[in-house]
Amino acid sequence: MVNLIIFLPLLTGLLILALPASRPALLRWTALGGSGLTLLGSLWLWLGFDRSGLGGAAGGVQSRTLLDWIPSIGASYDVGLSGLGLAMIVLTALLMLLVMVYVLPQRERVKEHAFLFLLMGTGLLGLFAAQDLLLFYLFFEVALVPMYFIVGIWGGEGRRYAAMKFFLYTRAGSLAMLLSFLALYLGTPGTNGAAHSFSITAVAAAQPYAGTPAAFWVMLGLLLGFGVKLPTFPLHNWLPDAHVEAPTEGSVMLAGAQLKMGAFGLLYILLPLMPDTVRQYGWLLAALGVISMVYGALAALAQRDLKRLIAYTSINHMGYVMLAAGLWGLTNSPAVRELVLGGAAFQMVSHGLLTGGMFFLVGILGHRAGTRNIDAFGGLMALPRFAGLLALLAFGSLGLPALSGFVAEFQVIGGAVGVNVWWAVLAVIGLLVSTGLYLRVLAGVLMGQKPDGLDIQDLNGRELWAIVPLAALSLLLGIFPSLLLGVVAATDAVTGATGR
Amino acid sequence: MKCLELWAVGPELALGLMCLLLVPLAGFVRGKWRSLPSIVAGFGLTAALILTARMLPWSGQEVFCGTYAVDGFGTVFKVLIIGSALLALLPIAAYFRGRDAEPHAPVALTFATLGGVGLAGSLDLGLIVLFLQMLSTASYLLVGMTRGGKRANEATMKYFIYGAVALAVMAYGLTFLYGLTGSLSLTEIGMALSGADPVWVWVALSLVLVGYAFEITAVPFQFWAPDVYAGASAPVTGFISVLPKIAGFAGLLRLMLVAFPDGLAGWPTLIAVLAAVTMALGNLAALRQTHLKRLLAYSSIAQAGYILIAVAVSGTVDGALPATGYYLAAYTFMNLAAFTVVAQLERVSGQDALTGLRGLSKTAPGTAALLTLALLSLAGIPPLAGFLGKVLLLQVALSGGLTWLAVFAALNMVIGLYYYLRPVVEMYLRAPEGEIRLHVQPGYPWALGLTTLGTLLLGLWPAPVLALLANLTRLLR
Repeated sequence: MVNLIIFLPLLTGLLILALPASRPALLRWTALGGSGLTLLGSLWLWLGFDRSGLGGAAGGVQSRTLLDWIPSIGASYDVGLSGLGLAMIVLTALLMLLVMVYVLPQRERVKEHAFLFLLMGTGLLGLFAAQDLLLFYLFFEVALVPMYFIVGIWGGEGRRYAAMKFFLYTRAGSLAMLLSFLALYLGTPGTNGAAHSFSITAVAAAQPYAGTPAAFWVMLGLLLGFGVKLPTFPLHNWLPDAHVEAPTEGSVMLAGAQLKMGAFGLLYILLPLMPDTVRQYGWLLAALGVISMVYGALAALAQRDLKRLIAYTSINHMGYVMLAAGLWGLTNSPAVRELVLGGAAFQMVSHGLLTGGMFFLVGILGHRAGTRNIDAFGGLMALPRFAGLLALLAFGSLGLPALSGFVAEFQVIGGAVGVNVWWAVLAVIGLLVSTGLYLRVLAGVLMGQKPDGLDIQDLNGRELWAIVPLAALSLLLGIFPSLLLGVVAATDAVTGATGR
Repeated sequence: MKCLELWAVGPELALGLMCLLLVPLAGFVRGKWRSLPSIVAGFGLTAALILTARMLPWSGQEVFCGTYAVDGFGTVFKVLIIGSALLALLPIAAYFRGRDAEPHAPVALTFATLGGVGLAGSLDLGLIVLFLQMLSTASYLLVGMTRGGKRANEATMKYFIYGAVALAVMAYGLTFLYGLTGSLSLTEIGMALSGADPVWVWVALSLVLVGYAFEITAVPFQFWAPDVYAGASAPVTGFISVLPKIAGFAGLLRLMLVAFPDGLAGWPTLIAVLAAVTMALGNLAALRQTHLKRLLAYSSIAQAGYILIAVAVSGTVDGALPATGYYLAAYTFMNLAAFTVVAQLERVSGQDALTGLRGLSKTAPGTAALLTLALLSLAGIPPLAGFLGKVLLLQVALSGGLTWLAVFAALNMVIGLYYYLRPVVEMYLRAPEGEIRLHVQPGYPWALGLTTLGTLLLGLWPAPVLALLANLTRLLR
């Protein structure tokens, strides 16, 4: 079933390539159907997931498929479900479906558009299921390449520059990550005749380089790869350009699903494979985290372009994940570790829902008004659907209780108090700035006088179908956080690392 | 008769007979029969490929009084060389169809193949020179068969003069080896050389490297490549960017591992530095190119630099030889795919400017997609062949202790991505200027299909190929 979910988008994409280009509606609905089936399948996996974390064949990874891929170098096709990975799989499938709903009327180069999004879907889903470093890397880049084309072909004015910058940044990071993967691989004894092994379980068991000076450089390579994708300060420079130039549906996938590749790598690869090193350099990760949070919020405050503003808030939100990883290294208390890791995982899902929704709203607004400058708006309270959703998503993002953002931020900051209160103070500064920021957005767009000539229709039915599920899920998870926390806590890599 | 083990040189005999048959045949054919030599050469190469493949399980031995090796290393390289010649024959035959040189091109191609195959097995300094000359002369001829006016003539002359000088310097270096050890046999040289004066050994090594650096376009003897690649017609460029390189690496590896055992004269360090300089120069120069063939020329210099990484650690790391073989196979597929598209483009517009690709994704979506795949593979994007090739190279560099080189290579690959994307930008990210109708010659789709299939298969399911390449480690020394 896991394999089917991973490759269903790709198969749908290939089917679309074979269908006649003269019938765009058929292509759109086929893509929608394929994404819908993928989401159904991932929900099926969610329901069947053993929350005790003890099910499945080996190492707590459930529904595992292990096939020889390149036996001579110890790389295998090894996929399975961890709690964290499963949460990301469902999130990705959901966002993909909503994007397909959103783009139904889009008619420009439909074949390529649909194929690229579906190919990216396969990359993302495979990445979150991969249990082998080489396979992880493969899916990492398979998810990356379509984004380049999506930004480059359907983007705004500066799309060629933004696409190239995005690709080069990520590629530089991913090659550093590849070198670190290879170093970890060379430090791990293999099985079945191969000298070394790429298996995440095997590397976690071998703990290569623990306590040696080389460990820092290996960790640095991983940090570069995941940090660019996250993105963390000072590797974030590509993000505003890519987001501003990307088409709305591209921004949604980029922020909602692609940034999670970096976060997932931090939690699922860096922490369990190099726990001693993370412990030693926990301060570095935590510092990167709080700097990103404060910087992201302040930079967002300085923006007038709404899309750019939302893009910068991603740096703030993903800073929580980096901070959580650092706090995990700085503490020895299992309770605190569980708290911050749960918070980080929650943040990943919550950010996907809230920021995904935000980018939809801002995209629609920009499309209708012809501008995204915050000063050009005002008085949009008159559009009840739009105003309601924007308010809900903004309050969710600033951490209002009963919405998903609150759980994430409360857990990470609470954990920070348990480690060293100054981390918490710095994090709260970031939180305060971003609170002011969202209130300013709400005030600027919804309140005040409607400028002359601003005539905007409220959201139509299709757009509601694309955005309401995100808002509803955020509310649901905010009220019942255990729905998600129960699943991510069953992540072997996370719990295993917690107990270490 | 002693020393005449003809059973051991089946592929060489097949190729040699084919050459002898093709020379008169090419002179006599008229009219519709002019395509016959290409067909005959195709069958001959296939036969040689089958004969070679049958030799894979053989245990290693020296034949012809120790002048020629039959071992896993040589056999795998022969498979690579003959296979690449077969792949290159398709676009070449398609290109020359209806032109003056139609019957002669396959003859030159077969001669070059025989030269490459012989070089892969040679254990004797004399044979090395002979086969290198055979390979190079046939390649000069092939470039010269393009009747494209001044630029083609210039390319031929440049190729010929550079090649002649480089190979002469190399032959001079080989005489030093003979002088130092009193033997022409690589094996005996290897045994005697460690006792020789290190200074002279180093001089000999440097001089010999000149010839191989020319064949594989390594710095500082890469200057000819951009002009020659740009001057020759695209299918021929594809051929000379692949086959002489594979053969050059085969000869270089055998020479280093047999005649300079245990890193004698510090050659691993020398090669590592050459690798770094070659990839950096190729990549940096490629950034500024505006024409596809020149861009691919610098790209192929950079690719040679990557492969040299594995050569540098070939004496100490087990996986280095298979990594070299894998990369060369991957390089053959992706590079020939790229050049086949360039050939089609050239046929239409008469030139190969990057701007000529503008909007190709709308006018010829299939071709654009395949060229994109080839370029992404050259850039090392998974799941294509170039990706795994680069993983293997980086891995052997790290296990050989060349961490600096692995990091440097990774930086280079980032630069590489930029210029490999530039044609993609033209094809996908810009609107077409007028109609492009790609000319479809019968050979091109086949060549493009086969090479793309190879690029994909090699990346997705490399296990069988890697099992075959494991034979490379069976090197007589």
